[in-house]
Amino acid sequence: MVKNLPVVPTAKAGSLVETPTGITWRIQYPEILANCNICLECTLFCPDGAIVQQEGKLVLTLKLCKGCGICANECEENAIQMIPEYSGVKGVFR
Amino acid sequence: MAISIADLSKEELFGQGHAGCGGCGAAVAGRQAMKALGSRTIITIPASCMATLGGSNLKTTWQIPFYHTLFEMAPAVSSGIRAALEAQGIEDVNVVSWAGDAGTADIGFQSLTGAAERNEHMIHVCYDNEMYMNTGGQTGSQTPMYAITSNMSKGKAVKKKNMLAIMQAHEIDYVASASIAYPLDLIAKFKKAAEKPGFSYIHILAPCHRGWQIPAEKTIEYARLAVESGLFELYEVDEGVRNRTFEPTFIPVADYLTTQGRFKHLTSEQVVKLQKSINVYYGRGGDEE
Ligand SMILES: Cc1ncc(C[n+]2csc(CCOP(=O)(O)OP(=O)(O)O)c2C)c(N)n1
Ligand code: SF4
Ligand code: SF4
Ligand code: SF4
Ligand SMILES: [Mg+2]
Repeated sequence: MVKNLPVVPTAKAGSLVETPTGITWRIQYPEILANCNICLECTLFCPDGAIVQQEGKLVLTLKLCKGCGICANECEENAIQMIPEYSGVKGVFR
Repeated sequence: MAISIADLSKEELFGQGHAGCGGCGAAVAGRQAMKALGSRTIITIPASCMATLGGSNLKTTWQIPFYHTLFEMAPAVSSGIRAALEAQGIEDVNVVSWAGDAGTADIGFQSLTGAAERNEHMIHVCYDNEMYMNTGGQTGSQTPMYAITSNMSKGKAVKKKNMLAIMQAHEIDYVASASIAYPLDLIAKFKKAAEKPGFSYIHILAPCHRGWQIPAEKTIEYARLAVESGLFELYEVDEGVRNRTFEPTFIPVADYLTTQGRFKHLTSEQVVKLQKSINVYYGRGGDEE
C-alpha cells in the first residue's frame, strides 16, 4: 500500500534575513570612512553578511549587523570606525 | 589560478540574520565556504552551534537545502542524499556534511569514518572551535592541551587528537586544513574538493570568542595568529600529494596563547615546550624534550 508521506514543516529559504536575530544586542555599529579602498576583505570576514560587495561597491546593511567589530579590527586601512549606540547626544538606536 | 574577492559570487547563501553570537567564527567559515560551493549544494549539519544558528523549522538563514541531523550521523545522511541524487540522475550538486569538532572527531566519528571508507562522493567539513560550544564549552578530543574549558577548570591534560592525519589515513581524494583568516586559501580548497569524484575532508580552524575567552572582534585575528605561529599548519593532501599552502612567519607562539583567557594560566615552561615542538616540526632547530 502506498502511503502519503507526512508534510514536514520547512522554513522558507533565507527567512531569517527579514527578522535578523542580533540587531537588538548591538552596542556599537560600524561606519565606513572615506579612505576605504574597496579591497573587499571585510566582506569575507563579517560573520553576518552585513557588509557585502554589490557592483564593485561596499554595501553595509545595519539591520543585519551585530556590532561585533571584526570588520574594524581587520581593515588594514583603518577605514572602519565603531561608534557606540547609546553614548553622546547622537546616542540613539539605529 | 589566483582567485580575487571581486570575482567571487555575490550570492549570500548563508549567514544573514543567523541566530548565533556576534563575531562567531563558525558563521564566518560558513559564509566563506558557500562562496566556493554555490547554490547547487545540499548541506547536513548535526547538533552544534552551526545547526542552531542556521535557524529552525520556522525560519532559516540558509538559502540552500539544509537538514539538521541527529548528532552521530551527518555523513551517513549525506551519503543517503548522494545515493538519492544518483538514482535520479542528478549530477551537478555538491553534497556536504558540516559538523563541529565533536560532531566530527568524537560523537560523529563512526559515520564519518564509514563514509570516508566507502569513498562517498561528498565533502565533510569540520569547523573546529576546539570545544563543545553549543552545550556550554566542554572539553573534547579537539581541545588543545592545557586549555581551560567549562568542565576542566585546571586545563586539559592530554594532546589534541590529529584529525587531519586520521582522515589522511583513509586515503580519500582530498584532505585539507583551512583557517577563516585566509579566506581565499579556504575557498580554493573547497573548489578543489567540489571537483573530486570521491570523499573530501576539510578541517577549518574557526575560533569561538566565548569559549576561547577572547574579544569578539579578535576572532579572525586569533585564527591568523594560530597559523602564523606555526601551531596550525595550512596544507592539503591532494590524491596523496602533500603540499603546504601557506608559509608561516613564525611569530612567537606565546603571542597566540597567553592572551587567550583559556590559556592565561600557562607557565613559561609550558610555553617554551610548545615553542620547541613547533621548532622541531618545521626543522627550525632545537631538540624536543
Ligand atoms: C547524541 C547527542 N549527545 C549529546 C547532544 C548534546 N549536544 C548538542 S550540541 C553538542 C556539542 C557540539 O559540539 P561541536 O560539535 O564541537 O559543535 P559546537 O557547538 O562547538 O559548534 C552536544 C554535546 C546531542 N544533541 N545528541
Ligand atoms: S577592509 Fe577596509 S579598505 Fe577593505 S573594503 Fe573593507 S572597509 Fe574598505
Ligand atoms: S560589526 Fe561585525 S556584524 Fe557588523 S558589519 Fe562589522 S563584522 Fe559585520
Ligand atoms: S558560542 Fe561560539 S561557536 Fe557558538 S554561536 Fe557563539 S561564537 Fe559561535
Ligand atoms: Mg566545537
